[in-house]
Amino acid sequence: MANKKIIKERVPTRERAPEDRIKDFEEVNQGYTFELAVKEAERCLQCPYNYAPCIKGCPVHINIPGFISKLVQHRDNPDKAVREALGVIWQCNALPATTGRVCPQEDQCEKNCVMGKLGDKINIGKLERFVADYAREHGIDEELLSEMIPNIEKKEQSVAIVGAGPAGLTAAGELARQGYRVTMFEALHEAGGVLMYGIPEFRLPKAIVEKEINKLKTLGVDIRTDHIVGRTVTVDELLNEYDAVFISSGAGTPRLVNVPGVNLNGIYTANEFLTRINLMKAYKFPEYDTPIYVGEKVVVIGAGNTAMDAARSARRFGVDVTITYRRGEEFVSAREEEVEHAKQEGIKFEFLINPVEFIGDENGKVKAVKFEKMKLLDEVDSRGKRKIQGTGEYVTLPADTVIIAIGKTPNRLIINTSDFKVERGKIVVDENMMTSVEGVFAGGDAIRGEATVILAMGDGRKAAKAIDEYLKNKSQ
Amino acid sequence: MFEILDKKELAKNEVMYRIKAPHVAKKVQPGQFVIVRAFPTGERIPLTPANWDRDEGWIELMTFIRGKTTLRMANELKVGDSIMDIAGPLGNPTPMKKFGKILAIGLIAGIIEVYPIAKAWQKVGNDVTSIHVTPKAMAILKDEFEASVSRHIIEGFDVQPDWGMNDVSREVVRRATAKVKELLDSEHFDFVFIVGPAGGEKAVFNVVKEYGIPMEADLHSIMVDGTGMCGACRVTVGGEVKFSCIDGPGFDAYQVDWDELIHRTGFYAPMEKKAMEYYLKALKEDGGEQ
Ligand SMILES: Cc1cc2nc3c(=O)[nH]c(=O)nc-3n(C[C@H](O)[C@H](O)[C@H](O)COP(=O)(O)OP(=O)(O)OC[C@H]3O[C@@H](n4cnc5c(N)ncnc54)[C@H](O)[C@@H]3O)c2cc1C
Ligand SMILES: Cc1cc2nc3c(=O)[nH]c(=O)nc-3n(C[C@H](O)[C@H](O)[C@H](O)COP(=O)(O)OP(=O)(O)OC[C@H]3O[C@@H](n4cnc5c(N)ncnc54)[C@H](O)[C@@H]3O)c2cc1C
Ligand code: SF4
Ligand code: SF4
Ligand code: FES
Repeated sequence: MANKKIIKERVPTRERAPEDRIKDFEEVNQGYTFELAVKEAERCLQCPYNYAPCIKGCPVHINIPGFISKLVQHRDNPDKAVREALGVIWQCNALPATTGRVCPQEDQCEKNCVMGKLGDKINIGKLERFVADYAREHGIDEELLSEMIPNIEKKEQSVAIVGAGPAGLTAAGELARQGYRVTMFEALHEAGGVLMYGIPEFRLPKAIVEKEINKLKTLGVDIRTDHIVGRTVTVDELLNEYDAVFISSGAGTPRLVNVPGVNLNGIYTANEFLTRINLMKAYKFPEYDTPIYVGEKVVVIGAGNTAMDAARSARRFGVDVTITYRRGEEFVSAREEEVEHAKQEGIKFEFLINPVEFIGDENGKVKAVKFEKMKLLDEVDSRGKRKIQGTGEYVTLPADTVIIAIGKTPNRLIINTSDFKVERGKIVVDENMMTSVEGVFAGGDAIRGEATVILAMGDGRKAAKAIDEYLKNKSQ
Repeated sequence: MFEILDKKELAKNEVMYRIKAPHVAKKVQPGQFVIVRAFPTGERIPLTPANWDRDEGWIELMTFIRGKTTLRMANELKVGDSIMDIAGPLGNPTPMKKFGKILAIGLIAGIIEVYPIAKAWQKVGNDVTSIHVTPKAMAILKDEFEASVSRHIIEGFDVQPDWGMNDVSREVVRRATAKVKELLDSEHFDFVFIVGPAGGEKAVFNVVKEYGIPMEADLHSIMVDGTGMCGACRVTVGGEVKFSCIDGPGFDAYQVDWDELIHRTGFYAPMEKKAMEYYLKALKEDGGEQ
């Protein structure tokens, strides 16, 4: 844009001070106010739609300059600005309050933002989040939704969705808006998948996820919790009762380190640790019944989002937390913001050490972890990471609690009880997201292994389209 | 929400709930369990459907009151109330094979899980002898067993006034091992099955292995989700890490790392005690029952 004044620096969001926030589980980042959001929005250069690198970087291709411009355009009328911006976002993304908070923006939409060449990149994630939050707080999203409902043409065909994480929720929303009768089957007592049981309250308040799920209910989606597909009902039975099935059961099987002592007491998988805290509210024990044991010294193994979440949750019990990782700092896969927050909160990092043994006391409780020191080699592996090698030198860290966060594989139960094609634990789908069984589609972490929320949502959307096509052909 | 159709005190500290849960009733098989979350602030605990009616859509759960959740359920849930969550059925059904002569042992409340399995085994042509080792005041399911297996033995004992839970456990182990030895010395059995606290299971296994008889045990690991997602229930079986909720709960007793299981099931005892004290205090403040 011609003669636009360049503002190099990002408008900062409001963040709670580390020493306050580690005392509770309330949200760390408080986001933008409307005024701050407009200021940040004004920095955007409004790259043309066909060129804008931010749109290309976003896995679901949100028209980013499109929604940002609404904030500037209607700066005198916040409700109108947000309403129009939300309309733009919703064309591609039904859960912006979530993605705005949890997307690895630095690797996606913000990665090649043109402003990066002139100064700070545009804070797209926080703007997206602002739009979603303001809309929710002012009932704008519900208004938009209720305008949509009368236009939905009800169809007779029905779809079953297995697993209510971001992939399943997105598919359900899309299909319900197309008029299909949608029933979701969720194993846990609450819908939301990782958004509910994995990602902590201080990063993604559960009230927000619940609100998103209520929107689906408004759209007429029937959510059956406590139903484990493969046990309560099989995929074959679903196929008899529904016209199509979408499997979005995620990657919930925790990987364990295969070294002696892994079953000692005090050693948690990140999934167990986070489920006790998020889903079961163990941080409010004994008001809530579910216990958790967080000792004085906590050692976390791994350096992805899950490891950061587990470490920061543990830190909120007022204890000493160390994150250990077998590679170097440059290979940490967690979101940038999370690593930064973890450091601010006083969490220590130890790189290039790999656990070789968990040492227990006479009661079978862990008391230390023995690590081998690693060194980086010049060769790179198939994923482009520099290879590492043991040095034969060891170091032992004292530990009352150990949290293993080295990754997860797709949920086994559904795979073991159905007969679609599976490769390396992942369900195989064709270019239309259909599995080897006709009428059964799959997406999200179930086909990818551990990925991201937005990729899971993208799959949900793509599958909904494919299911719509499939059912249209079927009914002809 | 799952409605309680009936509730009965079966014996001292043992309560039965008949609950409308068609999704479970339709599918459950002997050997499977459910995860129950009874209250908004409640824990998820595994319990076993002992009876069910597929057409009427109900299951019967029986609980031994031993901690906060089971006590709170007994105190607060009435007929007509609802249980928030019943997820399941979970776990693998017990194989319905013909073993021949089976000895099925239930230690205290373990007998609840033995019941549907023993009944089904007898039905498919096995000759089942069941033993319930229990304080006399807690003997349950006597008529039901007698109606469905070849022989039911209650190895009951009186609890002395000065006994704590440890003394009861010791007596259970003493009685169970003696009775099992007596039976194995005098009769031939093809297969032994046991459900009970890990310590008791191990003690009985140590007797059975002397006779080399195949033996399976249902393992009571601590569970959270029951769907294979958390790993809380992990056990070492045959040198490998297994998740007892999706790989079990039944395992070959010869392969189980018993000491690890004993440690793991006892880990939360201090916190469970705290939860109980918190609850009893709240009850007192409310002027509630007790
Ligand atoms: C702690 C943690 C932090 C993360 N942080 C981020 C982040 O910051 N940013 C990001 O983009 N990604 C993050 N991720 C990854 C992201 O959460 C996942 O990629 C995403 O949730 C996958 O979505 P999904 O819908 O495929 O599966 P899930 O979210 O895993 O949902 C699957 C659902 O299916 C249910 N289910 C499983 N089996 C069955 C069955 N047999 N029957 C019925 N229901 C079943 C499960 O209970 C679950 O509710 C994180 C993951 C974890 C664990
Ligand atoms: C597969 C399986 C089936 C079971 N079936 C029955 C049944 O039919 N009837 C019955 O009375 N009991 C059954 N149990 C045991 C039952 O889960 C515990 O009695 C219950 O969790 C106790 O909860 P509480 O709060 O009353 O006691 P607490 O004071 O919390 O615990 C008492 C003891 O129960 C065990 N326990 C506690 N929490 C759990 C948990 N989340 N998962 C597993 N064990 C736990 C521990 O060994 C603990 O020391 C079963 C357990 C398993 C694993
Ligand atoms: S969905 Fe994620 S990647 Fe796309 S614009 Fe929003 S924050 Fe960026
Ligand atoms: S690339 Fe950056 S500056 Fe260009 S439209 Fe996108 S957000 Fe705006
Ligand atoms: S109880 Fe969570 S994996 Fe078995």
